[in-house]
Amino acid sequence: MSPELQNILLRYLADDSSVLCLVFTREGKITYSNVYAETLTGLKLEGLGIEEIFLYLGPVPDAAGYLEHPDEKVLINIKTASGMPGTFYFRFYPFQGSVLGLGEADTTEMAQLQNNLLLLNQELNNLSRELQKKNAELTRLNDLKNQFLGIAAHDLRNPLGSIMGFSEILAEDLGKTLNADQQDMLRIIHSSSEFMLHLLNQLLDIAQIESGRLVLEKQNTDLSALLSKNIELNKVLASRKNIAIDLVPGMHRPELYIDPVKIEQVLSNLISNAIKYSKPGTVIRVELSLSNGKAVVCVRDQGPGIPEEETSRLFSSYYTTSVKSTGGEKSTGLGLAISKNIVQGHGGEIWVESRVGEGSAFSFSLPLEP
Amino acid sequence: MITEDFYRDYQSRLLVGDRTGCTARVNSLLESGIQIRDLYIHLFQRSLYEVGQLWEFNKISVATEHLCTSITESLISLTYPYMFSAPHTGKSAVITCTPGEYHQIGARMVADYFEMSGWDGYFLGANTPLTELIRFIGEKKPDVVAISMSVAFSLSSLSGLIREVRRQYPGLAIILGGQGLKWTDHVIFEGVPNVHVVMTLDELEQNFMKPSARVA
Repeated sequence: MSPELQNILLRYLADDSSVLCLVFTREGKITYSNVYAETLTGLKLEGLGIEEIFLYLGPVPDAAGYLEHPDEKVLINIKTASGMPGTFYFRFYPFQGSVLGLGEADTTEMAQLQNNLLLLNQELNNLSRELQKKNAELTRLNDLKNQFLGIAAHDLRNPLGSIMGFSEILAEDLGKTLNADQQDMLRIIHSSSEFMLHLLNQLLDIAQIESGRLVLEKQNTDLSALLSKNIELNKVLASRKNIAIDLVPGMHRPELYIDPVKIEQVLSNLISNAIKYSKPGTVIRVELSLSNGKAVVCVRDQGPGIPEEETSRLFSSYYTTSVKSTGGEKSTGLGLAISKNIVQGHGGEIWVESRVGEGSAFSFSLPLEP
Repeated sequence: MITEDFYRDYQSRLLVGDRTGCTARVNSLLESGIQIRDLYIHLFQRSLYEVGQLWEFNKISVATEHLCTSITESLISLTYPYMFSAPHTGKSAVITCTPGEYHQIGARMVADYFEMSGWDGYFLGANTPLTELIRFIGEKKPDVVAISMSVAFSLSSLSGLIREVRRQYPGLAIILGGQGLKWTDHVIFEGVPNVHVVMTLDELEQNFMKPSARVA
């Protein structure tokens, strides 16, 4: 090789190539590094020890050991300026009492890595697209369901109203002329249509809530008075099962800014549930108190209690508990879900405390300030 | 909405791999209410064509080209909350890439265009096995199948794919697109019935997605 060619190659190796070139003493001190080595590591390497750039998990080997197998490829991971380690394949040669190391990155490995990253990124993006598409589809289906619920419930209310109304009229006008069985039939027609109307109203409520159309018409309301009124109405239902309802007022603030119709719906739901699951001769306590700046209403019964594993699902739509009602009353599974939405719409919370054999306490809170 | 200065700024960030900067710029466009179509054509498509040309003329490395593509794919995902809520027409398309190819971004943008037009755009990513594609078409019964070819070298793979799809589904409309078709003589497809070559997203929308389109 001519001296001129040698010079060109040496200059290239020193300044321009992507071959890592180091000379270090047998004690591991670097005495020469080319431009690439310094650019790659981000360090002025002369004077540093090789342990500053050679990555080792264990103890750093004796620098002289690199000459044990001269001209063999050795894998060394290098600490680079980017923070990511770079893998190089080095050959080591004895050089003027020191060690000359020449290292190259494995381009095949890097190309493979690059490819794998590209494929992974593609897969991730494809999955993201799939997920978004399915989410959009679910939202569309949910909207359709709510529309259908709303239409069905709305269109069924009028005929049901007629059935209820006419069965009442028939019972009044013909009551004395009908035999016991016929009177029973009329009662069943009335109570069944009443239940169906109740279910339809709840389905309409759920459809409204899930479509984001729940509207609260808030006004200054005396919560104590509302409770008293609702309890008086529910006492009629409770008395049929010989169940007492007591109001325990513990809060003297006169008014809250709430939707009285919707809050009464929540009260009715909780009290009617308590009646449903209470045995004759027991007492339901309705407590009103103040706690942490909120008004808290608690409906406490002496029923059978609810298994712990069910309490977290009670407020989900269409969930019905395994606990049986004491008078054969049916449940739609929607009342507590609707109540939860109404209470949360007011900025409040709803929760249950219950133990099997010790009864249940359903509570909800309402903020004092709007 | 996408001025030349904005585009140049975005493109320069893309070429140096500034994912954060590119994301911020795309988010600013989305928040200002840009039409997704405009974003696709005047930002994503334009920048990717430019990246492709830079690579073809050895101005940038393969690694840079891959990085630009990866960043753009991630940015496209930012548009999805705005895209999938279009009312559906009841039509559907299956979109895929020529076997053996790894460039999928063009095909993905076509799938998204179908979605924007109210179609169900089922996107099968790069290198989907032929058997899987045939099975999927049988399952979804789409109105069209769209196939992308990114490089001209894949022509024989593409021909094989078209033949098999035509054999299994004789009446199904097939749309072909992709940069690889720029350098191909389209006459080889002329004998195959109901195969249409489409070179731009605009052409795709005009000829296949408008209500008056005669195909599908």
